[in-house]
Amino acid sequence: MGYDALVVGSGVAGMESALKLGDMGYKVLVIEEGPSIGGKMILLSKVFPTLDCASCISTPKMAATAHHPNVTVVTEAQLSRVARDGDGSFRVGLLKKPRFVNLSACTGCRQCEQACTVSVPDQFNGDMVARRAAYIPFPQAVPLKAVIDRAGTSPCTFGCPAGVKAHGYVSLIRSGLYEEAFNLVLEATPLAATLGRACYAPCEGECSRGSLEGPLPIRKLKRFVADAHYSHEERPPIDRPTPNGKRVAVVGSGPAGVTAAWQLAKRGYAVKIFEAAPVAGGAMRLSIPSYRLPAAAVEWDLANLSEIGVEIATGCRVDNLEQLKGDGFDAVLVSTGTTRSMKLGVPGEDTLAGISSALDFLRDTKLDKAPDLGGKAVAVIGGGNVAIDAARSARRLGASQVHLVCLEGRDEMPAYAWEVDEAAFEGVEVHNGWGVVSFTGKSAVATVQLKQCTSVFDADGRFNPTYDDAVRSELRCDAAIVAIGMGADISAFPALAADGARRLEAAAATFETKVPGVFAAGDAVMGPTTIARAAGHGAQAAYLIDRYLSGLELKGPVGPLPAVDKDQVLSRQRRYSRRDPLTASIPLEPSPSNFNETEAPISEDEARTAVSRCLDCGVCSECHQCLAACPADAIDLDMRAEEEELHVGTVIISTGYSLFPADAKPQYGYGEFPNVITAMQMDRLLAPTRPYNTVLRPSDGKVPERVAYVMCTGSRDQTVGNPLCSKFCCMYSLKQNQLVLGALPLADVTVHYIDIRAAGKGYDEFFEQAKAMGTTFLKGRVSGITETEAHNLVLRYEDIGNGGGAKEAEYDLVVLAVGVQPNAEAARLFAPGELTLDAYGYMAEVDEDTEPAATSIPGVFLAGSASGPKDIPESILHAGAAVVQAAAYLERRGALA
Amino acid sequence: MSDQAQQPPGKRRIGVYVCHCGGNISDYVDLNRVVDTVKDEADVVVVRDAMFTCSDVTQEQISKDIREQALDGLVVASCSPKLHTTTFRGVARRGGLNPYQYTQANIREQCSWAHTDDREGATEKAISLVRAAIAKTRLSEALEPLAVETTKRALIVGGGVAGMRAAIGLADIGIGVFLVERDAELGGRVRSLGKMFPNGTDGHDLARRLDAEIRRRPSITVFTSAELVKKSGTYGNYKVTVAVGGEQISLEVGQVIVATGFAPYEPEQGELGYGSPGVVTLETFTRMLGEGEGPLAFQGRPVKSVAYVYCVGSRDDTHPYCSRYCCSAAVHAALLLAGRDSGVRQYHLYRDMRTYGRHELQYSESRQRGSVYMKFADDDRPEVVAGSGALRVTVRDVLTGGKELVIGPDLVVLVTGMVPRANEELTAALKLPVGLDGFYNEIHPKLRPVETVVEGVSICGACQGPKTAAESVASGLAAAAQAAAVLKRGVAELDPQVALVHPDLCTGCGQCVTACPYSAISLTDGGSAKVASIDPAACKGCGGCAPSCPEDAIDLAGYTDAQVRSMIDSLLVGSPT
Repeated sequence: MGYDALVVGSGVAGMESALKLGDMGYKVLVIEEGPSIGGKMILLSKVFPTLDCASCISTPKMAATAHHPNVTVVTEAQLSRVARDGDGSFRVGLLKKPRFVNLSACTGCRQCEQACTVSVPDQFNGDMVARRAAYIPFPQAVPLKAVIDRAGTSPCTFGCPAGVKAHGYVSLIRSGLYEEAFNLVLEATPLAATLGRACYAPCEGECSRGSLEGPLPIRKLKRFVADAHYSHEERPPIDRPTPNGKRVAVVGSGPAGVTAAWQLAKRGYAVKIFEAAPVAGGAMRLSIPSYRLPAAAVEWDLANLSEIGVEIATGCRVDNLEQLKGDGFDAVLVSTGTTRSMKLGVPGEDTLAGISSALDFLRDTKLDKAPDLGGKAVAVIGGGNVAIDAARSARRLGASQVHLVCLEGRDEMPAYAWEVDEAAFEGVEVHNGWGVVSFTGKSAVATVQLKQCTSVFDADGRFNPTYDDAVRSELRCDAAIVAIGMGADISAFPALAADGARRLEAAAATFETKVPGVFAAGDAVMGPTTIARAAGHGAQAAYLIDRYLSGLELKGPVGPLPAVDKDQVLSRQRRYSRRDPLTASIPLEPSPSNFNETEAPISEDEARTAVSRCLDCGVCSECHQCLAACPADAIDLDMRAEEEELHVGTVIISTGYSLFPADAKPQYGYGEFPNVITAMQMDRLLAPTRPYNTVLRPSDGKVPERVAYVMCTGSRDQTVGNPLCSKFCCMYSLKQNQLVLGALPLADVTVHYIDIRAAGKGYDEFFEQAKAMGTTFLKGRVSGITETEAHNLVLRYEDIGNGGGAKEAEYDLVVLAVGVQPNAEAARLFAPGELTLDAYGYMAEVDEDTEPAATSIPGVFLAGSASGPKDIPESILHAGAAVVQAAAYLERRGALA
Repeated sequence: MSDQAQQPPGKRRIGVYVCHCGGNISDYVDLNRVVDTVKDEADVVVVRDAMFTCSDVTQEQISKDIREQALDGLVVASCSPKLHTTTFRGVARRGGLNPYQYTQANIREQCSWAHTDDREGATEKAISLVRAAIAKTRLSEALEPLAVETTKRALIVGGGVAGMRAAIGLADIGIGVFLVERDAELGGRVRSLGKMFPNGTDGHDLARRLDAEIRRRPSITVFTSAELVKKSGTYGNYKVTVAVGGEQISLEVGQVIVATGFAPYEPEQGELGYGSPGVVTLETFTRMLGEGEGPLAFQGRPVKSVAYVYCVGSRDDTHPYCSRYCCSAAVHAALLLAGRDSGVRQYHLYRDMRTYGRHELQYSESRQRGSVYMKFADDDRPEVVAGSGALRVTVRDVLTGGKELVIGPDLVVLVTGMVPRANEELTAALKLPVGLDGFYNEIHPKLRPVETVVEGVSICGACQGPKTAAESVASGLAAAAQAAAVLKRGVAELDPQVALVHPDLCTGCGQCVTACPYSAISLTDGGSAKVASIDPAACKGCGGCAPSCPEDAIDLAGYTDAQVRSMIDSLLVGSPT
């Protein structure tokens, strides 16, 4: 693509540049970083010295820019680089940021905004009110289209291996939309109640609140919405999608299998699950003890599958994949999990009675066929989650002593520390650092012989235990349970086995096995993991099977946006209020006697309190309400940044300025005292589209009676490194003085100033007008501001005009007339040093006297405040200067496009 | 008029859009009532209100309504037509409606803003104004703009920095320039200046450099010792008469740029000691600094101390404006003097130091280099006693608690401001608008910052108001941009709202010919008798001819007698008889 001129930045100078060049007949591209053109001017109330309404001047320029036949506008775009070619033209990298809304489809109806569950400070209203994450920037925005504010993926969501939008359901709970929250979980997996209980919750480990007072109870919140849904008697039925005529067989009904089946069924496939066990659910139903995961919870989740039409055949072992294909299944997913227990391989293990594998023990327990352990001593071998489950189950079955023996030291154990602690609380004795030599006994096991384990892992971190044979011990026991690892049972599918035969082999990217049309997923492929990881794996398998059966290239879905940087999230919280997490602990008993669920559910109040602590790290929570609400199907959360190369004849940089961050003058209390605001915020309070529809102060909504202006905040001030005068703060303050006095005729307005710089056409007259309306002008700087209990503000200032000396005065509202800082970001687009800056960081005009707007690079011009503070009329004139020189440059080298 | 204009109510399809203007209108006018009332007017098929009708979204809505509802008339009730007539004509065009079938009802400047204390009255008035606009629109006709080829050449009056730089700018984008300068050479005020603030550029060098650039460009023709005496012609094609050395030459140009600069304020004799030895203006002082080296001497005596009195000829009753440049210029002069003589003592007697932007750095530097600043109150000007003896300056210094201080300087510099140039002939020849401050006025400082109400004539530089040299150059280039935006494409569209003669009614009496201020009417042979004929390119649509016609034979397109009568009738609806 080629354009004669590229205008970077669409404030008043950028628009003027584009319009004039367009009028001359040049093709112009305007790029704007934000979601709307118009710059800062469109946000103002009125403009000096004519007191014209800023919107009335800006909107026609914005519309003219958007509709000019020679001008193209691209919003949400940045440049990545600009390089000058040998012929004097420019190669430009244009980076289009994702708006997540299809501009041609969006009608600006705001339904997404109303549906959005995330509120953040509205930057277009000086952060004084909230806007949604899905929002239209402001009423006069051009284009008047929605944008979805996504800082990245929220860490909780990013950390979920099951692909559950954790931030999304937290946000939905915050909005009271429990059923929607449940359905959002179901977008990823049907296992809401299961994961709400038995997930190890990596999301909570990622929660940004974790580094403050503690993470949100994200898992329990999922249980809350799941239980709310399942306990509802008249819950809406799950819609069955229109069948697409294709059939898929899923072998194994663990988390991977049921999640895959669910995802395929949602896409219209007829799915049948084959389960060898008498009940469906795999490890969820047969391994995890009921005190952690009651069978009923798994049954609730599995009912979702039946509702959507998935057939589950239990007691149905598959050992012939070819036959399945012959039975008319278009594809097969093998997700049989890890059902084979590893053995110690020590004497006595296979010969003595009373020794069982943990999987068998747990399965028997779940199927009410548990051995009688009443009053017995039980040794559990192993240090992982399964060993803990077995040990705690043994206690519940009446074992008087439970010894947990493992090679690892306490902090090396694969089980989570809290699990070990809970087991210990329930009377499990943990013996760390011992290896099993043998089991002894006559016919039944009576002892476990142990030797000391000196190290578990070798220098490379591999499992490679070493022992001190000299240090021996023994444990007396009536039964032993071995929980030292699991593998896939490959006996039915030798063709799919990987080397070593402990897992099935499937291609990492496509999940395909060696047998065409047969896919494998879950723990059978990965080795023992967690329910969430297996579920996520199953969902991916379903996505790929769908593509396979649709004849599409086998590649994964668009990945999530990168996780948001937590430091960035925390620094975004300007006024952060401490909110402590729920402290409910799990009620445990030292001698548990039943398999009742140990964890109590959280109440609705607790849930609502908990979700109020969410920091909305990614801004958009991916709750998907906008997707449902948009009547135009315009929202596309899979949009990603695109880069394209452009060729342009000349470049005008009109990127304006940044306002001085008022909190960099801590003595003025901005950000700390609610009634200290910046002039930009005051302009918003005065604007026709103002947030409160009147002028009032933020702390209590009171109409201020005494308003003070602190001039030169961040200007003419060496202490903040800016010795320059910002040129227009005096004038905008004089404007605001008059508008405040117009809006609040009884208010007193006082201006604390150094010099009133009303230098310009009609400006001094404007100063006189402000004086005549009753503004009081006090010469002298303000040294500091303190706050009273009523949130009034006490200014300490020098009163030069009235005899001098330091004085104090109390005000209801203080407006900081913040100055200007350079915005020289654009200089970074060029080779280092190519676009020169002045001593104060503004992009430099090399010969201000005869070539205003010209930079150190031929063909690159500045318009407006990019080269130093300018008011609106001056910016417009400056744009004219840039335009003439840009046009001259184009004429010299011949128009390009 | 045409058949359409004769149509009775009931045949048109008019859309009415009522603007809240944020709250500028809706705070004082009950717009719900306005909408409810006018929706029942004959021919009105759609009525909507909007927060900002000028916003892009409402523009799109209007344009959509025009297409979907097949509107053949459009009324927007909002602000002054001065602000947005072109905006909404553009909307009409985009929607497929002839732009001249659009009428703007001014319910802001002429209603809500004028009657902030009377909501009831303002609402009634707004309804009447909208009704009148509907009545006018009902009789509106499609008009086609007149496309004229423009002369790709501009005339620039004034060869100072602004005019010179504008000339170079235009020449570089392919537009020919006639540059007319009253003096014998180009360069204007800066030619006589030494180092100028803030960049230390030598004014003389600057003028010479621009002069050389002009000479390198054959498309610029320079007339020195020349003055513009007359302008005539029509949009984009003007004839200007320039007097050069006793001779009058005629030039054809498409645009005129006025860059005639300022005059330095000349204090009155005795004002702050002016006229006495040792009391000089900033202008004179700057020139003194440009000459020689080392410590300054005045009339043979060394200058060991200088007192600057600021705001002379600025911010007073006769000159109510700030001259913008003088604070910075005086500070810069003080730095130059400090550079020549580090021992010199300098006292600045000021009101507000307006060293805006980067100029602040020089203000800081001057303080570091020993300049002492004293602030006097607005109504408490310093006194300068001059005459035969030593100079004595008395000031009550606000900065030291209002102490009266007396200085005995060797030199008093009156920091004089800029005043408008005496340019009565040019002002009259171009009919240039002059503001309250005496400088030329633009149409709107933000929307049309260099254009004047006189079509084809732009202003730039200090003739528009005080500016520094660099600011004048920037504004000169902005005026060049404006001229180029009109001329670069070679074709311009003219407003078709011009006077029309009904030849069958015209008796050829010629009264209109005398009434026309633009010489757009002539009597031509109309078969049996002479009839008036109007040059549409010359006619400005002022309407001056129409009432002068005893036969009612002249109508103004877009403002026909029928339209105006119907507006009056509708304004009278419901009013007490």
